[in-house]
Amino acid sequence: MISVYLDRPTWAHRRSAGMKLGLLALCSVLLLPQDSLILFIGCLAGALTLYASLGRDGLSQVLLLKPMIVFFGIILVFHGLFTGWQEGFVVVLRLIVMVLLANFVSITTRMDDMMDAVMPLFVPLKWLGGSPRTIALAVALVLRFVPVLMTVYGGLSESYRARGGKQGSWRLIAPFALQSLRLSENVAEALSARGGARGVFEQNRSAGRNVRLTGLQVGK
Amino acid sequence: MALWHPLRRKDAKKELNPNQDVYARFDRVKLTLGNRQVLSDVSLSLSEKRIGVVGLNGSGKSSFVRLVNGLRRADSGTVKVFGSDIDDVAADLPRFVGFVFQNPDHQAIFPTVGEEIAFGLRQLGFDKAKARDDALRFLELHSCSALVDKPFAELSEGQKQLICILAVLVMEPKVLILDEPMASLDGLAGRKIMQKLKKLDQKLLMISHDLSFLADFDRILWLEDGSIRMDSVPGDVLPAFRADVERRSALELGGDDL
Amino acid sequence: MTDRSIVQIAFYAALMAALGLLPKVAIPVLAGVPITAQSMGVMLAGVMLGSVRGSLAILLFLFLVALGAPLLAGGNGGLGVFAGASVGYLIGWPVGAFVTGLIMERTKTLPVMPAAALSAIIGGIGVVYLFGIVGLVIVAKLPVMAAIVGNGVYIPGDLIKVAIVAVVAQTIARGLPSALASRA
Repeated sequence: MISVYLDRPTWAHRRSAGMKLGLLALCSVLLLPQDSLILFIGCLAGALTLYASLGRDGLSQVLLLKPMIVFFGIILVFHGLFTGWQEGFVVVLRLIVMVLLANFVSITTRMDDMMDAVMPLFVPLKWLGGSPRTIALAVALVLRFVPVLMTVYGGLSESYRARGGKQGSWRLIAPFALQSLRLSENVAEALSARGGARGVFEQNRSAGRNVRLTGLQVGK
Repeated sequence: MALWHPLRRKDAKKELNPNQDVYARFDRVKLTLGNRQVLSDVSLSLSEKRIGVVGLNGSGKSSFVRLVNGLRRADSGTVKVFGSDIDDVAADLPRFVGFVFQNPDHQAIFPTVGEEIAFGLRQLGFDKAKARDDALRFLELHSCSALVDKPFAELSEGQKQLICILAVLVMEPKVLILDEPMASLDGLAGRKIMQKLKKLDQKLLMISHDLSFLADFDRILWLEDGSIRMDSVPGDVLPAFRADVERRSALELGGDDL
Repeated sequence: MTDRSIVQIAFYAALMAALGLLPKVAIPVLAGVPITAQSMGVMLAGVMLGSVRGSLAILLFLFLVALGAPLLAGGNGGLGVFAGASVGYLIGWPVGAFVTGLIMERTKTLPVMPAAALSAIIGGIGVVYLFGIVGLVIVAKLPVMAAIVGNGVYIPGDLIKVAIVAVVAQTIARGLPSALASRA
């Protein structure tokens, strides 16, 4: 799956996901109330050093900021007009530093590890009748079906153009949603056929029935 | 090696016996979906190693096979699977009655092949690491270990269907139900899959529009308008079914009949 | 929660992602402000799935983004987007979907099209803007008025999305009534 993850071992990759997330949370708590321009220039230098320590391709990940630049510019201008440029620079620098630090965790942590690190947060779901496993299943389903839905859209767009329609019309959204939902009915059926979201084992156990596990018959 | 799970309880009840010869018994089964009578009064029992199901679109084939693993429930009459009423053992059925769907893209749940196979084992209660190891071993057994980390979306159609079948087989069912498994495959890929299926220990219950796949099955059921029109060996049923299709297509076609 | 609900939620999250990845589900660009299809996904989720499942679908989508999947329109993703100035809008999405779905569920006596339009305006625009503006005020320290004015440029585009959502809901109500789970 596509991810912002930088697939190359570095010192930062070796640190545990939980530690990185914890440090990130600590940084945001500490930095949010600050308003010294000098401090944030220092933080920016520090953040850039972190990226540079990953190597050349690490430093280029700073570009993940690119889609936000225009927005930051607008915020700066608004501050310039309403509250003063000094304040504007502080706010925008703080945003840039926070985004850089957060992305640093994202590019040095595999999605699996990130998920394992946050799974304990979902334990309370058990009392609501869900389970952390359901979350993992749902995440897997999304990753699996994004490409499938793209293919569905491609097929619709093709047959629409074959009958004289324009490329990428909003008219395709209704049939796209329809086909996706039809597809989801089939997938739900297939999931149930394999024991459902709770699994054969859990379902039987909660019904007070025993489940015999047989090892794989290797050598068949 | 058989592992008995330590959490097994003594008060176990309503267990099906997966070793009996007859795996499904229908007694006066009726099923309606919406306003449509899908199956009317079907009684039979299934035990042969390979059973084929034929019939035109809308004849009730799909609903019929779905009754065997509990995806659909009868409105009246009883369906017994391995001797137990299906309502009592539904939660246990995915272990003993595997189901392979027509379109592999509707069946695979996980992004990569390894996860897809491991899911079946996780469903049976294995932990993540053990499921992952066993899935890899299972893929090796079926000479597919090279695919383990491949995204499902990047497989060929034949590979996709093979992985879907393996993902069901890894749960070691006694019976494998297949709803037109070759429909999305070309002739070559379809034949390769069929060769694999014939080598399995599992009993097969398979719907197919391509009658050539069914020629050496043990028994063929021909469904028409929700009831069994014919139930016999392929040598009797297949020619009769083919002749019936020919006869119908010779009649003039109007939009209403299509 | 049934298998069907879980799959529906996952599919809607995947649909959100697909809407962001599609080259441009061509909706007119108004006055230079690009109209992303994704905020329309928020309205659609509420209208189609109802309050609970709709908001869970959006939460699931945001969870994937937080895990590092670059699924926001323009290929944005990772924890960084939740540290940015638009975090208020992102938090507003699931709440907006919930409110949209809630109104949809409570207006079963109305025909689908006006009900969907009403729900999408209140939930998909009102609630999302409210959270977005509060976010701008807190995170970007903008004065409230400035945040409201800056937000104004999106209103015409979002009204177009409401119209599309209403038409889509109507189409689906005719084509596959059971898919309109908010009214099932």
